[in-house]
Amino acid sequence: MRKRTEFDIEISVGHVCAFLDVKRESPIYQEVLEELTEMLPTAYEKIKPVALLAFGDLEGYKIEADGRLVKEALYGILSIGREIGEWSTRFFAEGDYLKGMLADAIADDYLFQMDVALQKHVVEMCREKGRGIAGRAEAPQDIPMSIQKKAYDATEARKEGIEIRESYMYDPVKTICQVYLLDDNIKKYHPEHDCGKCNNLACKQRKLSTVWMVVETGGRKRSIQARKSDSLLKTLQENDIFLPAVCAGKGNCGKCRVRFLEGALEPSKENEKYFTEEELDQGWRLACKAYPDQECRILLEDGEEGFLVLADERTEETKGQNLKGEYGIAVDIGTTTIAMQLVELSGGTVADVYTTINRQRSYGADVISRIEAANSGKGEKLQRIILSDLKKGILTLTKNGSVKVSRMVISANTTMVHLLMGYSCEALGISPFTAVNLETIHISGGELFETEWKEIQEIEVTLCPGISTYVGGDIIAGLFSLEFGKREKVSILIDLGTNGEMAIGNRERILVASTAAGPAFEGGNIICGTGSIPGAVCGLTIEGEKVYLETIGGVKPVGICGTGVVETVYELLKEEVLDETGRMAQPWFKEGFLLSQEGEIRFYQKDVREIQLAKSAVCAGVETLLLKYGVSYEEIEHIYIAGGFGCQMDIHKAVGIGLFPAECEEKIEAVGNTSLRGAVRYLLNPQGKEETERLVKIAEEVRLSDCREFQELYMEHMCFGDDSTLN
Amino acid sequence: MSKIQRIADAVEMGTAKQVAVLVMKALNEGCDPTEILNRGMVDAMGVVGEKYRSNEIFVPEMLAAARAMKKGVEILRPYLATGKSASAGKMILGTVAGDLHDIGKNLVGMMIESVGFEVIDLGIDVPIEKFIKAVEANPDAILVGCSALLTTTKRSLRETVVALNSQPFRSRIKIMVGGAPITQAFADEIGADGYSENAAEAAELAKRLAGLV
Repeated sequence: MRKRTEFDIEISVGHVCAFLDVKRESPIYQEVLEELTEMLPTAYEKIKPVALLAFGDLEGYKIEADGRLVKEALYGILSIGREIGEWSTRFFAEGDYLKGMLADAIADDYLFQMDVALQKHVVEMCREKGRGIAGRAEAPQDIPMSIQKKAYDATEARKEGIEIRESYMYDPVKTICQVYLLDDNIKKYHPEHDCGKCNNLACKQRKLSTVWMVVETGGRKRSIQARKSDSLLKTLQENDIFLPAVCAGKGNCGKCRVRFLEGALEPSKENEKYFTEEELDQGWRLACKAYPDQECRILLEDGEEGFLVLADERTEETKGQNLKGEYGIAVDIGTTTIAMQLVELSGGTVADVYTTINRQRSYGADVISRIEAANSGKGEKLQRIILSDLKKGILTLTKNGSVKVSRMVISANTTMVHLLMGYSCEALGISPFTAVNLETIHISGGELFETEWKEIQEIEVTLCPGISTYVGGDIIAGLFSLEFGKREKVSILIDLGTNGEMAIGNRERILVASTAAGPAFEGGNIICGTGSIPGAVCGLTIEGEKVYLETIGGVKPVGICGTGVVETVYELLKEEVLDETGRMAQPWFKEGFLLSQEGEIRFYQKDVREIQLAKSAVCAGVETLLLKYGVSYEEIEHIYIAGGFGCQMDIHKAVGIGLFPAECEEKIEAVGNTSLRGAVRYLLNPQGKEETERLVKIAEEVRLSDCREFQELYMEHMCFGDDSTLN
Repeated sequence: MSKIQRIADAVEMGTAKQVAVLVMKALNEGCDPTEILNRGMVDAMGVVGEKYRSNEIFVPEMLAAARAMKKGVEILRPYLATGKSASAGKMILGTVAGDLHDIGKNLVGMMIESVGFEVIDLGIDVPIEKFIKAVEANPDAILVGCSALLTTTKRSLRETVVALNSQPFRSRIKIMVGGAPITQAFADEIGADGYSENAAEAAELAKRLAGLV
């Protein structure tokens, strides 16, 4: 028997946070870190480690390793004493639940580290005895719980004050038992835990080796190798296959759907929310929550091919003709979509349009998650994605270089510019949120793209200047397209994209702000939400139990897009399924409101909350800007709604749910993709540079998050107003 | 925004100090203490539980919110009419005999308390007689919660529930069970009234069993 009480273990804050799901983006992250740091010195005092090791037989147990019956074992009992457990219990009793849970996680981390630290002594003992270690058995999955009694007796744990119950549970609770299976093969030592055999799939410490898989998409097959500890989503990203992942892989958007043709995994809990039993049986899983541990074959849908990106109208008569003369390309790089137009420079006609999904979406729907991805080493990858998307657009528009393009103007938000230019995003993500560069950028196609295509190398590329980290060149382009720099009367521009930017002003002075309204108005973060793809529910009316749907392209419904989301909330309010606070009446509160049997499309309580947060951010943002600008609604000439969403939206319904103030319904106008239109105008207007830079100069950012008025208005607009507007 | 709403927001955000201050202010300005408790805190915890169940937040945020509510309740308690602090009812809770697991049961207690119940926590390794005595000693108890975390203590859970089922007070209580190896099927088999998979759902279950929703 051997006993060890000296362990040089440092409790890992990272592990403790991971055990408890303390995420960096959590509002209480800092607080938890501080409390944890404060607790550590006491924790070390309370932890009294002891490890007991003793050889013994396995009589009465039938356990095999490598096909042979194992007869001998080395038993280990590891304990950290009673005090730490009592400490946790006391916190709970006092109502400090967070500290109670932290104390418990600290204890677990210490025990796990003890287990690892002990392994070299285990190997040493076996080597001395002339035995190898075939592996270890864990109760109750590999061996009955009663083995804990055998280990208890063999190690004489009673002498250490450890007790055992009839249930074979040890007291103190923070005591674990190890059974190392001995073997004659002295070249083999496997005292470690085998994650591959362990049932605890949700374990935050799961470590696994690699596995091969075949990925099929659009009739093509590819073999890729994956680390077993990586999610399928991450593996696919590393292999340049980008699934949409609105929530950046947290398992709560349900968008990264894949189908296992072979080797399907047991569905984790998250899957049950997004798939029917039948779909699960067919192998449908969320890629972000799938950790393939065996060879498998996976089918990817290419269902977003038909994504409708607003790129305004194309001039029909030039289509298909030989394009002579000089052309330019206007580009809008949105967080979700990319839109490009080929423009004839002398006459200004739009000759062709190209739109695509921003494949960076695989790293999260909003700019924050992209910044985080860039800061954790994915920056180059994100740059490569956007460059290749743009290049593909250029080659498509110019028919592989046969149309002469001399200039390209890009309008994009500040994060997109940083990712495109390969700038560091470190400072974008942390206060005071400074950008590397907000000026107008001139760069040659050759420098930007590193391409063989001479036609691309010679393009002069311009990026519109931005105002701040959160209000970028896309808003400047929008203001430029709407001629804010020439207006006498005050108007408002609201971009209903993911970042919810807005501006108010005239030629004298402009105030801008970003509300981070989130992707709800683009169908993101909505359980049955989807982009503007064929089959997306874009309009509906509800009368009692009856739901009348309208989908994009008039085809079978597949999900709800932004306009559909707004209309759904409006209709549910009208039908009093939702009350003023946004609470769904029973039975819908639990199971969601069924919009369509076909496609099993439901609208859930969580979706309503998502919209409440988003709409109140927009509405409070507008009102805060009005306050700061010192004008009232009556003095506003126009309210322009930009963004892909803006074009087909029913303004009356949007006002009805409180997205926009009812006072000025008749002043609201949906204007489509103003960022792209601004880029076109810049291409054609010799004053483009001067005018956009002047707009930057007269614009001033209001940081809504620092603004007390905003916080109050935000809370005020959270509920739905009186129902006078719902008719 | 109303004062009550402000308290609810602070509870949701888990800012304990702010909750304490806001409750004091609300009391000073003459808000009804029961209203503060039910609308400001219990309802807010309902929202928190809902967010947890939909994966919007994780355990730590839930813990912080419950802790914030607890702070508020401490301030509020002297103002509440005796016995009124547990508007929803009384619950007896414990981990069954032979089982020393504490944390899961504590989380359940915390969530059930936060939706308005008074929880009498018998602790861990609770013998059957102790459960029975506790129900007898608390004629106003309407719920009994039993937890078992080991395959080897499932039997103990079964014995506990079977024993409770044969008591004369059985008709006035509802029994809920939970723990890692427990399933709905097992709960049905041993004659418990309800099973839930996690603490947030246990709170919903408690409300349902108490006939509150």
